[in-house]
Amino acid sequence: MATVPILKMENIHKRFGELEVLHGISLEAYSGDVISMIGSSGSGKSTFLRCINLLEMPDQGEISLDGNTIRFQTDKKNNRSTVDAAQVQNLRSRISMVFQQFNLWSHMTILQNVIEAPIRVQKLSRPEAHDLGMACLEKVGIVDKAESYPGFMSGGQQQSAAIARALAMRPEAILFDEPTSALDPELVGEVLAVIRRLAEEGTTMIVVTHEMNFARDVSNKTLFLHQGKIEEEGDPAELFSSPKSLRLQQFLSSAMA
Amino acid sequence: MLEFLIAQIGQWLGEDIGASLAYISNGKHLAWYASVRYTLIAAVGGATCAVLFGLLGAALKQSSFLPFKWLGDFYTTIVRGVPDVLFILFFPLAFEKGVEYILAYVKCGAENVAATTGWPPCDAAQWYLSTGDYLVMACVSLGIVYGAFAANVIHGAMMAVSRGQLEAASAYGFTPRQVFWRFKVRQMWAYALPGLSNVWMLLLKATSLLSLLQIADIVQWAGRLGAANYFPRVGLVHPDWRWKYYLVLFLFFILMTMISERFFEALQRRASRGMAITGSN
Repeated sequence: MATVPILKMENIHKRFGELEVLHGISLEAYSGDVISMIGSSGSGKSTFLRCINLLEMPDQGEISLDGNTIRFQTDKKNNRSTVDAAQVQNLRSRISMVFQQFNLWSHMTILQNVIEAPIRVQKLSRPEAHDLGMACLEKVGIVDKAESYPGFMSGGQQQSAAIARALAMRPEAILFDEPTSALDPELVGEVLAVIRRLAEEGTTMIVVTHEMNFARDVSNKTLFLHQGKIEEEGDPAELFSSPKSLRLQQFLSSAMA
Repeated sequence: MLEFLIAQIGQWLGEDIGASLAYISNGKHLAWYASVRYTLIAAVGGATCAVLFGLLGAALKQSSFLPFKWLGDFYTTIVRGVPDVLFILFFPLAFEKGVEYILAYVKCGAENVAATTGWPPCDAAQWYLSTGDYLVMACVSLGIVYGAFAANVIHGAMMAVSRGQLEAASAYGFTPRQVFWRFKVRQMWAYALPGLSNVWMLLLKATSLLSLLQIADIVQWAGRLGAANYFPRVGLVHPDWRWKYYLVLFLFFILMTMISERFFEALQRRASRGMAITGSN
């Protein structure tokens, strides 16, 4: 195992007004890790995931990518912001994200969706990006939809396209925010199969999910969040078969019923 | 060429119609037809300004910097309430006075300005406006007034753009500027065009106010040509025919409306291609 984690989150706190949703969460992801985050809604798992690429600004705590720490500053009103916009851009172009609601850009075809950021953000040439994009669509099994618009595809196909968009960044890690929660039950399987295949290929991933079987079978580390804290973490086989905390026992019995 | 053609048609159709055709193709009438260009220039120029002011106003309204936001809100609330007739009269004259005032100080010198009571203090400060100058100012005036409407429409349309998609753009490393132009503004058109087509119609109608700025536009010509026409040598050519000439203007504006609708339908199809909203595909 590499000595420097790809991604290191230390003691992350986040408040929305008076409500403190994250009470100091830490996480280390090494190359090839598949980390699943479970917990009931409101436990802060999505907020934590969004803090990783700074879609939410953590009020406290450190983030480092490959040992480079993101620099923050705090103003007089105690609002935190980043110091260097380029550093944030760099972080975001190396950690890609898959959303619950897909969030494909509706005015672009699937292929355009996939190659837009590689071209505009990573400055790849158009032919290079095109080949890369087609390869990514091939990988998720929707290469025939390259010229379709997202609005005319099933949820499962859209989420596969969103995964292809994430892959085309050739990221060091991919963040999944409840990738199957917005899908019809019969479409969940195809998307999970795609993510499972990526895991087998050694893609580093952090997955917020309600799919307990998926978390148990695919990830090598599981975090259980409760009220903004890590209640329990560890090897999924152990965690799911013999949960130590009462909270996790309760959560699993209701979630796996 | 045109005269020859009309003469030919006149021969085929017979004397009476021939004479009518000859009458409506005389010099003054040709000048009337040509004055359509002022209307079109004012409409297109005004619309371009309106979209620019609209984008600027909408951007101001969304600014997190409060004075900018107030300026944007002030623009859309106040300017929308000013009658366009007033504004078209006020803005060019105020601008002209402003320019002359500056010219007076630069060209004539401050001591001259103080010494003379009349206006202008020296000839160099006199600004004679040509039709072209007035036309530019008409475009800007129309742009300011209808830009306030456009700003509201564009602001609303920007709000309708999916937040999730903008967030995705940020998450993939696009800069705030890229997110604004490549995603927010790009998708905004699909929601804004129905509203903007209304603003365009209002603006097109307002071009009939051009004659207020001494521009010999279609409305002014129609009034002149339609008035009872009497030549000492020929006698009464025609009595008060203004209603006929204004009828032609009616038809012209209806035609423009129809063309505009076609145009906006095509734009709408293009702007909302792939987007699952009304009017697409």
